[in-house]
Amino acid sequence: MFIDSEKMQGGFHVQDQVRGIREQALDACRQARTVQELNEARVKFLGKKGELTLILRKTGQLPKEERPHFGKLVNEVRDELESIWEQREQELSLAEEAKRLLAESLDISLPGRTVARGTIHPVTRVINETKNIFMQMGYAVVEGPEVELDYYNFEALNIPPDHPARDMQDTFFITENLLLRSQTSPVQIHTMERQEPPVRIVAPGKVYRADSDVTHSPMFHQIEGLVVDEGITLADLKGTLQLFVQRMFGADVKIRLRPSYFPFTEPSAEVDVSCIICSGSGCRVCKDTGWLEILGSGMVHPQVLKQVGYDPEKVSGFAFGMGIERIAMLKYGINDIRLLYENDVRFLEQFTS
Amino acid sequence: MLVSYNWLQDYVQIPWEPEELARRLTMAGLEVEGLTPFAPDLPRVYIGLVKTAAKHPSADTLQVCSVDVGEQGMHSIVCGAPNVAPGQTVAVALEGANLPGGLEIKPTEIRGVLSHGMICSQSELGIGDDHEGIWVLPEGLKPGVPLVEALDLDDVILDVSIYANRPDCMSMIGIAREVAALTGGELRIPSIDYTELDIPISKKTSVTVEDAALCPRYTAALLGEVELRESPLWMQLRLKAAGMRPINNVVDITNYVMLETGQPLHAFDYERLAEGRLVIRTAKPGEEIETLDAVKRKLTSEMLVICDGKKPQCIAGVMGGLSSEVTQKTNTIVLETANFAPVSVRRTSRALGLSSESAARFEKGIDPSGTMFASQRALHLLQNLAQASVYAGHLDIDASSREATEIHLPLTEIERLLGVAVPEQTCRQILEALGFKVQEAAPGHLQVTVPSHRTDVKIAADLVEEVVRIWGLENVPSTLPADTSTSGGQSRRLNAADHLRQVLVGAGLQEALSYSFGRIDNNDRLLRFDQPMITLQNPFSEDLAALRHSLLPGLLTAISLNASRQQTRVALFEIGANYVGKVPLAEQPLEEMQLCLALWGHRNPINWGLAEENYDFYDLKGILELLLPSEELVWGTGSNATYHPGRQGSIRYQGNEAVVYGEVHPAVLRNFKVPGRVYAAEIQLEKILDLFITTPMFRNLPKFPAVDRDLAFVVDSGQEVGALIEHLKELGGELLKEVTLFDVYEGKPIPADKKSVAFSLRFQGDRTLTDEEIAPVLEHCISGLGAKFGAEIR
Repeated sequence: MFIDSEKMQGGFHVQDQVRGIREQALDACRQARTVQELNEARVKFLGKKGELTLILRKTGQLPKEERPHFGKLVNEVRDELESIWEQREQELSLAEEAKRLLAESLDISLPGRTVARGTIHPVTRVINETKNIFMQMGYAVVEGPEVELDYYNFEALNIPPDHPARDMQDTFFITENLLLRSQTSPVQIHTMERQEPPVRIVAPGKVYRADSDVTHSPMFHQIEGLVVDEGITLADLKGTLQLFVQRMFGADVKIRLRPSYFPFTEPSAEVDVSCIICSGSGCRVCKDTGWLEILGSGMVHPQVLKQVGYDPEKVSGFAFGMGIERIAMLKYGINDIRLLYENDVRFLEQFTS
Repeated sequence: MLVSYNWLQDYVQIPWEPEELARRLTMAGLEVEGLTPFAPDLPRVYIGLVKTAAKHPSADTLQVCSVDVGEQGMHSIVCGAPNVAPGQTVAVALEGANLPGGLEIKPTEIRGVLSHGMICSQSELGIGDDHEGIWVLPEGLKPGVPLVEALDLDDVILDVSIYANRPDCMSMIGIAREVAALTGGELRIPSIDYTELDIPISKKTSVTVEDAALCPRYTAALLGEVELRESPLWMQLRLKAAGMRPINNVVDITNYVMLETGQPLHAFDYERLAEGRLVIRTAKPGEEIETLDAVKRKLTSEMLVICDGKKPQCIAGVMGGLSSEVTQKTNTIVLETANFAPVSVRRTSRALGLSSESAARFEKGIDPSGTMFASQRALHLLQNLAQASVYAGHLDIDASSREATEIHLPLTEIERLLGVAVPEQTCRQILEALGFKVQEAAPGHLQVTVPSHRTDVKIAADLVEEVVRIWGLENVPSTLPADTSTSGGQSRRLNAADHLRQVLVGAGLQEALSYSFGRIDNNDRLLRFDQPMITLQNPFSEDLAALRHSLLPGLLTAISLNASRQQTRVALFEIGANYVGKVPLAEQPLEEMQLCLALWGHRNPINWGLAEENYDFYDLKGILELLLPSEELVWGTGSNATYHPGRQGSIRYQGNEAVVYGEVHPAVLRNFKVPGRVYAAEIQLEKILDLFITTPMFRNLPKFPAVDRDLAFVVDSGQEVGALIEHLKELGGELLKEVTLFDVYEGKPIPADKKSVAFSLRFQGDRTLTDEEIAPVLEHCISGLGAKFGAEIR
């Protein structure tokens, strides 16, 4: 009906109508508050049955000469409106997205979904750290039996029956001849029996002594070191251990060798490190001495070398042994050795990397 | 050994303060473990002379004394000690004194009488534990002199730790010799002068050594008219400083000389020895002795005893007998300085559970040549301090072999072992100061004679140690061993353990560490009966008595502990040895490395965003699948008594069972006091070590798209789904690459005794597959599953 009533009004009017549609469309575009309203308006004006499309049908009513001009006009308006629409749509959709994001805000103070955290036992950590340091220096990591023959735990280490040094270690016996090793030193013997020099090994493992208090446990861990070759000296021992403690505890840590006694080394030395708690100025842990005793060491006793068939006049060696728990306790500040074997998960979970 | 700094200066000049002396000794191998003042600081405590003592007007047990404190004036002091009397020299604490117990002295009214100080006991001064009354000091001390000064109490005690190879240092002279070597000073040997009677000892007594192997030397002296009394105060204080209790002058002198020389001595009351003679022999079966500590002890035939004409009077080297003890009535004593075999003393002391200062020295092996000097030193003191008459000569039964050890020491040996040369002159000085005789055998070669007191020095390396410990280990440089052809690395067993730890930590488990020994009934508690465990002869406790067969008891114990400590989630693993051998053990048992893991409580840590669900069987199985992905493993059913009969499985490798796992049987959990349910696995790593050295092999990624098809079946509710999957894989042929179970459902609308299981089947080939190709395969799967398991397609 609308078209019919226009029929008579001629081209001039139709062009005005296009301009009117343009004005209305721009209004609608401006007034659209959402992408959806904008789309509705687009359908109304620019859709397949939209006003701008419909008015094109009136082309036929125009005089022939005006038709191209009219067609061009409609297309220009359409292009303009399309472009404005596109721009408007982008504006609106960005605003809408911004609004949606705002609405999606989370309470970021809530804790995350916990991923259960596994941990390595502090004793294993120290063993791993130690063996890695020595492996980098060309040491092989070896193991030995925990249930030992008296021979390996004592006799081959120059500790005959009734030797007073046996009192230094309260040993667990299974039979007269079988015992739980009281030190990792038997691994020295097994290793040298198995191979010819050069020997360069560390041997971590469990050892057993009948003792229990805040710093002693009936089962604990040691790591043994042994180097045998031509020309190995006490100076080599000193340099090796100096390097080890610096890598283990830090570059500033110093060592001090004190003469000591072990039946299977001669000369023997106790090794102290400058206190890792107070850096040597004196504290409760080092009993104000500035030093912490961490390992026993020495030059392999000629008798021990002879026992395994090495020639003590040709080769020499050094050996050392240290308590892993002691190092772990110092390193992590653990004040009671028994915590290490209790497996309280609140203790274990503290040893995350 | 407790060493008095003041006393030590009798034998050697010390140029250092106690702290520096302690450091030097420590660095020379005599570790000083502590430094303590002998007496506390005692300001305002003086020597006093009790002038008068009168009964307190209103208290029967108190006396009012007037005490002369020299320059400090006369003081009226109320004293409650029963032994106070006029004429006594005493220690007086005056106003302003602050005693070790925290007592501050100020004028105090005691029952109406003003007291201006306190007459002190030893314990009040922190010097001894004598509570019997006030400390009565020897006469002749000047009143008003500070107590510390008058008694030379300003001393420091060094607690020196003596290694087992240095019995010679269990003596003041031995320590002084070390100090002399460090300072380059001279060792001063104390006097051994005394006069003898004309009567030879052999007229009065005899010594018979029946077992020269256990008693290489026995030296006896005889003294008469011994005056028993308290020893002089200086000696009492020195004994106290060394940690010994003064008794009487004779006993004190034997102890004093032992502390000086390291040679234990014993004094017998001669009159109480049957037949007045001594026989050294092993005990006869059934013999007994009552030792000085008033304990009757049964002797065995391995124990060496000193007998009189009839019965044992002393356990050789360990402790004397009560019946020949020196008492106030004693007049004549036999003084023993002997050498006993270390092993015998050690065994006897251990067998009787009886340790003593004497045994501590003998069992480390002391110098047999020292008996005579110690005896003479004691005779000197007994004559001077107990007015004893000494019978002429000694009875000295000496079967000890005392050939001096000779050692050839090339100076190059020092450098070979130390990595640094020590000048020849330095070596000589050090060795000579320590008592070694040194001669030059050839240029650069020393011939060293070992002194008899150094029983520990036998070879050249021992001499190298002597040199370096005095010269100073700090003078040894730091070098690294010359590079050799060692390659390093570790065994595949250790590599496997490290790998498994990493996987399990990634899966959220914590590594545990338990004792290798546990209760004897731990196998029984796991319901694994008739598996006897290896037991210890001398266990630390009942809970630590048998070597484990499994790590599971350790983890169950840990779970129980954590449950009792309000923990809600425990996920533990441990890697360690089990000890398997035929009991009774004839040879070393197998030490088989096991990996054990156990899950208890909540699957997830408590968290607002995670379901609060408990661990179940499939959590365990999932971890095992992660841990053991090898296709060479055969997963099957299990029948282990430790586990729930319907919720367990086993994994076999090359025909051997390597893993048992499942829900732990509730009876086992009751045995270990674990509430709830535990899912555990025991993995015998030794059996599957091969699996950890395989190298993953790359397979080409598929080039053509996969086609996924879901199939849901209804089967009997008891049907094992594993079998369905296996069969589907067979039915699917080459094109079927994966079968994934994505749903298991029981309940409506599925009939009561049925369940629905849904699989996703992934087909893939070397071309893009079409529906026409897949349809017959699917059909084959459906009919095949139907035929074999009665499965109906849903």
